[in-house]
Amino acid sequence: MQLHAAQFPILSSILLCCLAGLIIVLLLPPNRDTAVKWVSAVCAGITLVISIYLFAAYDRSLGGMQFVERIDWIPSLGISWFNGVDGFGVPMLLLTGIVFFTGVLSMWELKDRVKEFFALFLFLVLGVFGMFVALDLFFIFVWFDVSLLPMYLLIVIWGSTAREYGAMKLTLYLLLGSALILPGIVYLVAVSGLKTFAIPELMRQADFSGFEQKLAFLLFYIGFGILAGIWPFHTWSPPGHVAAPTGVSMLHAGVLMKIGAFGILRVGMFLCPEGWIYWAPLMALLATIGIVYGALVGLRQTDLKFVIGYSSVSHMGIVGLGFATMTVDGVNGAVFQMFAHGVMTALFFSAVGHIYDRTHTKEIGELGGLSRVMPVASGYFIFAALTGIGIPCLASFWAELLVFIAAFRVYPVYAFIAVTVLVINALFILRVVQRTCFGPLDERWAHLKDMTFGLGLPRMLLVAVIVVFGLMPFLMYNVIQTSSIPLINGLTGLQGITGLLSGLP
Amino acid sequence: MTNWTLFVPELYTLAMAGVFFFRTLGGPRPQQDYAIALIMSAVGLSLAVWAVGSEGILFNDVYRVDLYSQVFKVLVYIGFFLAVCLCGDLSGVDENRHSEFYLLLAICTLAMMLLVSCVHLLAIYIALELSSYSLYVLVYLRKGSEKGLESALKYFIIGAASSAVMLFGFALLYGSGQSAYLADLVAELPGRIREPVVLIGFLLALSGFFFKLAVFPFHFWAPDVYEGAPHQVSSYIATASKVAAIAVLMRMVALSGGASDRLAWFLIVLSVISMTVGNLAAIAQKDLKRLLAFSSVAHAGYVMIGILSLNALGYSSAVFYGLSLLIMKFTCFLIVVKASEGGRNIDISQLAGLHKRAPVLALALLLALFGLAGIPPTIGFTAKLLIFTAAMKQGLLWLVFIAMLNVVISLYYYLQVLKAAYFIEPAEPAPAIAVSMPIKLLALLLIASMLYFGIYPQQVITLAGAMTGGIL
Repeated sequence: MQLHAAQFPILSSILLCCLAGLIIVLLLPPNRDTAVKWVSAVCAGITLVISIYLFAAYDRSLGGMQFVERIDWIPSLGISWFNGVDGFGVPMLLLTGIVFFTGVLSMWELKDRVKEFFALFLFLVLGVFGMFVALDLFFIFVWFDVSLLPMYLLIVIWGSTAREYGAMKLTLYLLLGSALILPGIVYLVAVSGLKTFAIPELMRQADFSGFEQKLAFLLFYIGFGILAGIWPFHTWSPPGHVAAPTGVSMLHAGVLMKIGAFGILRVGMFLCPEGWIYWAPLMALLATIGIVYGALVGLRQTDLKFVIGYSSVSHMGIVGLGFATMTVDGVNGAVFQMFAHGVMTALFFSAVGHIYDRTHTKEIGELGGLSRVMPVASGYFIFAALTGIGIPCLASFWAELLVFIAAFRVYPVYAFIAVTVLVINALFILRVVQRTCFGPLDERWAHLKDMTFGLGLPRMLLVAVIVVFGLMPFLMYNVIQTSSIPLINGLTGLQGITGLLSGLP
Repeated sequence: MTNWTLFVPELYTLAMAGVFFFRTLGGPRPQQDYAIALIMSAVGLSLAVWAVGSEGILFNDVYRVDLYSQVFKVLVYIGFFLAVCLCGDLSGVDENRHSEFYLLLAICTLAMMLLVSCVHLLAIYIALELSSYSLYVLVYLRKGSEKGLESALKYFIIGAASSAVMLFGFALLYGSGQSAYLADLVAELPGRIREPVVLIGFLLALSGFFFKLAVFPFHFWAPDVYEGAPHQVSSYIATASKVAAIAVLMRMVALSGGASDRLAWFLIVLSVISMTVGNLAAIAQKDLKRLLAFSSVAHAGYVMIGILSLNALGYSSAVFYGLSLLIMKFTCFLIVVKASEGGRNIDISQLAGLHKRAPVLALALLLALFGLAGIPPTIGFTAKLLIFTAAMKQGLLWLVFIAMLNVVISLYYYLQVLKAAYFIEPAEPAPAIAVSMPIKLLALLLIASMLYFGIYPQQVITLAGAMTGGIL
């Protein structure tokens, strides 16, 4: 067993980098918009480099928790600054780094209240990174809320369609989620009788009864699940996505919804495995309804962002279905899907955002023939659509394949329904692509210029990521299974799932 | 032998009241009054801080000086000092009355300092009445409207009624325990808490403090008084007065010995109704001060959760909650004072464009509102976490649920305020708010403390634990 405690605190340095960026942006004098953007971009670049390094440096042969750092924080309550990443956390950090960097670049043209926007943006990302590295329930909750807080202002100030309604609905729904999570956390800590909020210690030492696990898991499942867009708690998500500005939609659909799924995994499944087993059939049912509902409701939408919003609900259902199978393949697929969907949605929103900035409409009916005037911009849009419908050799394909292989074994009926509906949905998405990018060109769009190289840069990065992990899925698969195998094997083994914690003292 | 050094902060405050008494005899010199009040309250605050750590018993065991009382005195004094800081623009009070204003504020502070130290029923009663009477007059001092008179009258009537009820409760407790000393009562009463007369005595006796804290059903004065009083007085009522009420309420509840289910049940019911009523009523408010009043009612409900947990963690979390309320509510009132013109009341919609007119104040407001809503990483979240942990230790899972649902409800109206400050642009261009350097520094200090205690509360928790260890 190798201890990493004495290492350079690399996880904290990601958080500190975001915090430093935030403080610098706040201290910059007003009207220094370019400087604000550069500070944010540099900060995002550094976090991206660190997250790529972590992805490369994570020791696949050891597995378990790595890059662990721990300092006592509030000893009288047993709260500690306790960070570490495992095979589930590393892909999420990489995802966040990518979406953060491309998100900043996608907002490069912003002119209105730039300083405030990027300050809130950095604050949000700080919360997201924190959530993915924290191993202490107190900090998990803190980061969870830190990542939600800025959403309200980000949407209400810089958003578009029905932004006040969308922002308020989103905030209240997500905070309702945290209203379930906090009692769940406090409940588990109180019944454990231990003076600690640290997940590893609760996993090893606390002996939660079946009832306690079932109750707490339900709280976490619904609480985090609201953010993960689980049907029927998803209704905040499409209006929220539609109202949000491009960079925020990217982060939101790309990363924030993953926080929800990650919370279910990290808190719910790690601490309450019996609850997970007990509620898995319900999870599978809700996930399948989510897949079907998101896909079918998406068919009726005329607003491009609503189309993506509902497809997100559908794709997040695939994540839920993967978790519900309780198999190695299913969990691998679910986590892979979290990553793949994050990158894909970011590209989707980024492409649509660009089109919207130029044409000021997101109505499918009003667009048409864009590929003639904006071949590059439409190219990204088409590519995102193809990834979304799961074309082979793109990242999403492998993720969905794994989930459905597992699901056909465990829940054949659900899997059959879900796959059928997704095929129908794919046809529809192709029709959307056809109507917006091909066909007769509207006069109004004839003067539009295509995307410049600089603006195309973030989209290229996203495309590259999708292709790389589509061609070499084992890169991601190797990492995820270092944690998914101990998790699933632990469910039946005598040791429990503490095998996940190898590497921790 | 009376050791008078233990009594220095109180004597000093009395002297301060004396100074302003003599100043009432001369003509109006508002600027001078303000300067003197500021300096004297600052000195008083440092005296109160200096007195932390002294211990002793005075006046035939009626008055106890210990860590618990001394820290609360510091908190009360902070509330007083901050309220005086807001008096640079005391346009809500007639110029001729400024010295009276400071005189009454000093007396009220003195009364609250006495209140947190008294360990005798009669002394508690006298201190409570002294503080209430000065507040009745302070509320009335609002210039040029009948609002002040109306709200002062309302305050007085409800206050007098709850005092009467409380006195009746004291009589019952005295009759059952054969003593008015809390030290004697705590030896006698816990074993007899199941007797109806003792239980009813407790509930009636607590009503006086429920009134101060604005707990349902004694909260009806709050919206009118907050709205009708000068801003500085509202701020004082929302901060210093609440902290003192928490201190003495905790002492009285601790008297029950911590093993009473029935008493806890009554308190749970009051707490749930308080937070629900407060939050639901706040949604409908247009006037910012009325909104803050209803939010105070809701927060009284949250504080009660800590107190009714009847365990060490619960008491120390209530202390922490008191500190957090002090900081957050004062921050809101700082914005009320600065954003309003000529001491008039301010509607939520009038905050429009605050982020441009005064960026620092807008940021402070943002943090204070998120804090009041109990969202990390602010002090308000840590306070709520502590309280919920204490309640959960008593197995009150469902109470925590109700409280968290209330948090979500409250977020709605806090966000409305925030939306006005950050999103809505004023109909006609409003000039920037002149924020002087000291006020800017004060706002930054408040921002820093809201974040610091939210992220790193260890020291305060340790202190609160040490304080409440010897609560009786």
